[in-house]
Amino acid sequence: MTTTLTAPVATRRRVLPRGFAHGGLLLVLVAIVVFAGLRTDSFLSTNNLLNVLRQVSVVAVIAAGLTLLMTAGGMDFSMGGNVAVTTAVAAQMFAHGQSIWLTIVAAILLATVIGLVNGVVVTFTGVAPFVATLATATLLDGVALLVINGLSVSIDDQLSPLGIGKTFGLPHLLIVAIVVLAVIAFVMRYTTFGRDAFAIGGNEDVARLSGINVSRDKLLLYGLAGALSGLAGIMLLARLGASSPGTGGLQLQLTAVAAVVIGGTSLAGGKGTVLGTVLGVLLLGVVANVLNLLQINSYYQQISVGAVLLIAAIANLLQRRRH
Amino acid sequence: MTAPGTEVVRARGISKSFGGAVALRDVSLDLIPGEVHALMGMNGAGKSTLVRILSGAQNADDGVLEIGGTAAGPMTARKARKLGIATVPQRRELVMTLTVAENIMLGDLPTRTSLVRWNLIGKLARQALRDLGIDVDVNALAGDLTVAEQTMVEVAREVRRGGRVLILDEPTACLGAEAAAQIHALVRRLCESGVAVVFISHHISEVLALADRITVLRDGRVVWSGLAKETDETDLVRSMVGRDVVSTRPSRKSDKSVTGLKIESLADGRFIENLTVEVRKGEVVAVLGPAGDAQSRLFDLLSGRRRPERGHLEVAGKRIPFGKVARSLDSGLRCVTGDRRRLGLIPELTVDENLMLARDRLDRRRLHRRDRLARRAAPLRDDYRVVTLSPNPPVGLLSGGNQQKVLLAKWLGTEPVACLLEDPTNGVDIAAMADIHTLVDALATNGVAVLLASSDADEVMRLADRVVVVRDGRAIAEYDIDRITRDELVAVALGGAIS
Repeated sequence: MTTTLTAPVATRRRVLPRGFAHGGLLLVLVAIVVFAGLRTDSFLSTNNLLNVLRQVSVVAVIAAGLTLLMTAGGMDFSMGGNVAVTTAVAAQMFAHGQSIWLTIVAAILLATVIGLVNGVVVTFTGVAPFVATLATATLLDGVALLVINGLSVSIDDQLSPLGIGKTFGLPHLLIVAIVVLAVIAFVMRYTTFGRDAFAIGGNEDVARLSGINVSRDKLLLYGLAGALSGLAGIMLLARLGASSPGTGGLQLQLTAVAAVVIGGTSLAGGKGTVLGTVLGVLLLGVVANVLNLLQINSYYQQISVGAVLLIAAIANLLQRRRH
Repeated sequence: MTAPGTEVVRARGISKSFGGAVALRDVSLDLIPGEVHALMGMNGAGKSTLVRILSGAQNADDGVLEIGGTAAGPMTARKARKLGIATVPQRRELVMTLTVAENIMLGDLPTRTSLVRWNLIGKLARQALRDLGIDVDVNALAGDLTVAEQTMVEVAREVRRGGRVLILDEPTACLGAEAAAQIHALVRRLCESGVAVVFISHHISEVLALADRITVLRDGRVVWSGLAKETDETDLVRSMVGRDVVSTRPSRKSDKSVTGLKIESLADGRFIENLTVEVRKGEVVAVLGPAGDAQSRLFDLLSGRRRPERGHLEVAGKRIPFGKVARSLDSGLRCVTGDRRRLGLIPELTVDENLMLARDRLDRRRLHRRDRLARRAAPLRDDYRVVTLSPNPPVGLLSGGNQQKVLLAKWLGTEPVACLLEDPTNGVDIAAMADIHTLVDALATNGVAVLLASSDADEVMRLADRVVVVRDGRAIAEYDIDRITRDELVAVALGGAIS
């Protein structure tokens, strides 16, 4: 009977183009862009748009890793904290005269190790990922402050090729983000490792019984989330030119989680798309930018961002319910 | 015959289609207080749609629904409940972390100045259970009850809420004979108290014993409706399937001298004590016991999910350590769970992905291409007759029978040396059941050692060459299948003695 019931649904899905699954989200995004274009002169200028994209690049890299991890039923709340530590350590290494490449490699390695520690705790102790990584998040925020001793550490223009450089008019930060998103999208769709993530998120017991090495995959996923946090940390440092108290941390984390969830990735695992995450990241970035351009009081800005979040989440759900 | 006018529900000419697919065509149904009306049909025949329409979850495209003598008009779930139509679905809808009493009184907790009156809750809940002769502690947590007890609690809740028409959707599907008997007794008591019961089941003998009236659906139409005493098993099967279903034991004459699977002095707590079973290649050996006995623990132990306290496991002469899924799989041992929802399939993933879930991992495949996946899965779909309406839907949308076939194909398409099948025809209609039996026959013919863990005597009779009888965790006897009768096996499954 179930098959009979769902037949028309399945046919409808096939007829519509891919990506229509995010139609509600796309609609909200388009509405805001149109509104912004009408109300401000500067929003649709190339400069402003590129600036928005440059700004969301860091969140996009974190959100990409988080999408894959959450699809596998995991969660890492410490990616923002990891970014804070990475930027702090990298800034101090620059300040102590270390070379660029050594610093970058060391920072990303450190971030990967932090991710792996999360992975070990979650995989082998059975502590809920949310709890474990919330604890490490707090811990890492403290460590970051310790590393820079609560002061701003400038790196001058050592990473400016990455931070403000462009190729063919595209900011380098944006190019890095696009590559990361593309790789994660490829992994999720075309590799067994990516499909294993769906299987583990869908039903971990079944995945294990089917011969998937669930523990290994989880460690890899948390390690990958850590590595991408490290990369995001370097990108953030390149963009800001300094590591200060409050760089990265929970605020950045919440933005990334919001973007991923808005994009339709299930908190319970088993579902997720990079395309949705991209739309979520763009939506949040565009809203922040538009509110700035309209010179709205920053208190109202926060209220508006929250409201948009809620609307997008509801639009997403209504969309899915119709299917 | 009851005089006309006494029906509590009269459905006339109900039709319903979804998009292009017709689910129900001109279906009529009468429900009479004090009668058990069995609804039968294969997976996909339209039973669920009819139930959804009766319970107000969906509205018919066409037709009239009269409840208590008046036309009901457009229905909602709330309205149906108000009119006394209650459904007890196949999956339990209790809050497992609350007590039985709270579950029964859910949504109707008695309060005094908005404070909960715990004593009264206990008293009312006990009363509701006693009225139906159900013996369950109201202070127990719902999650701690057996499935049969949970079903009974749910029935009591619906009756307390004023259910005059009770729709039981496969209440005995996953139950052993003893638990099913408890449900049957409850259904009879419901009828005595004047409730009209709609009873959905795939078990023909059960329906013939319990129902007053039977309606058989096929492809959305009523193909037969009448008194239960006017029909028999053969006619019912023919009505349901549209042809005769023959499922007989083939004679297997392969050389049965090589040991394929050997379990030696297996012990795990009070569930399994010193169990030794040897299955030769090409042989089907059944471990049969009352539901929940030793045979239902074998899956966890053999698949590597759980390490037993003691025991050895050998596959084709090679010693396999317990507690390691990978080692169990490498040896060629395939364990097919009886609980496909929890341990068998991933509902969000597509049919093809589920079919190849184990195979591709065993092959250490790195890349995943949808078109190639479909090509690899196609022969499995054919061999196991998996029927889907759209090309590759999520497996969770398939009917139970098709899901079960996907589960079997997923494991048995991976060149097993030995396999454990746990209740392989769980919740499956008779045509699918016959298909699955044939598949198991083919496995044995191809030299696979098949261990069947079952609490279904008929299935054991049909499939097994030998049967090991277990009771209270111990193997108490072993018979060649031609040395024991069906009735004796039924007695075993019920937990009774063997003469």
